[in-house]
Amino acid sequence: MSDRRRAIASLPRRVVGTAAVGVLAVAAVIAGVLAASASGTSGSSPARAFGLPAAGSAPAGWHRATLAGGAAVLAYPPVMQLVSSDRGAASAAQLSSSGEYLLYLNATPKQGDESLRNWPQFRLGHLTDDDASSAHELATISGVRFLGGTGTCVKDDYVTKVGAHHFTEIACFVQGRTSASVIVAAAPTASWASVSGLLGRAIAGYVVR
Amino acid sequence: MSHTLTRSLAGLALLAALAAGCSSSSSPAKPSTPPSHSVTAPAHNSIPQNNGGDHDGDNNGGPSDGDGNL
Repeated sequence: MSDRRRAIASLPRRVVGTAAVGVLAVAAVIAGVLAASASGTSGSSPARAFGLPAAGSAPAGWHRATLAGGAAVLAYPPVMQLVSSDRGAASAAQLSSSGEYLLYLNATPKQGDESLRNWPQFRLGHLTDDDASSAHELATISGVRFLGGTGTCVKDDYVTKVGAHHFTEIACFVQGRTSASVIVAAAPTASWASVSGLLGRAIAGYVVR
Repeated sequence: MSHTLTRSLAGLALLAALAAGCSSSSSPAKPSTPPSHSVTAPAHNSIPQNNGGDHDGDNNGGPSDGDGNL
């Protein structure tokens, strides 16, 4: 057999080898794409898209308030302090020298018919039924991962009936293994952009049981 | 000839990888919804304002808390 004929005879084996390498490369790329896609639906990435950091322990130096029965733990930064709230709930705020709310956090055990499914509608309806003359939904997200549970969050802004104060908030209904509760993070709409990161960190550090 | 075939296979592999990437990224989870609606206050109020009801800050012009009833 001549060299030329031997080269031709050996060609399919080389082609097969090259094709195998190509298939493996494609498989690796596809696996990588699928892995990236899977992580994008894990809960933390949608939360980031909503403006919330991934769930994680509150920074060192933050204070903590535990709901009655240990249902949840609200972490709040040192610039805030506990303020009065409903029995069984916890609220922290930073107030201006004139008593205006600059930052506000609240955690309250589930009290009514709120659920992961109906939370955005429930919250906006409750706002206008209770405290606000108008409320406007900005965004909603479900499947948010919390430390110990899963939540549905709504971002909205509203105007209070008293004083016509304009607030923006992120309010989340969070279902833990044994309890459900609500965390609210709010600030005057005019300063929301500058404080939403801090409030988002408090939401990310919310622990439920 | 073998070089031509090899290049063709590499090209096909690249196209397959790109197609896989595009199909994966074309349907991401939609994390948020655009503004959908506004709600205005109903005719009745469940909690009296101006320091009424449970005397929360949210009944006095402060931010609303997370209660489901009051």
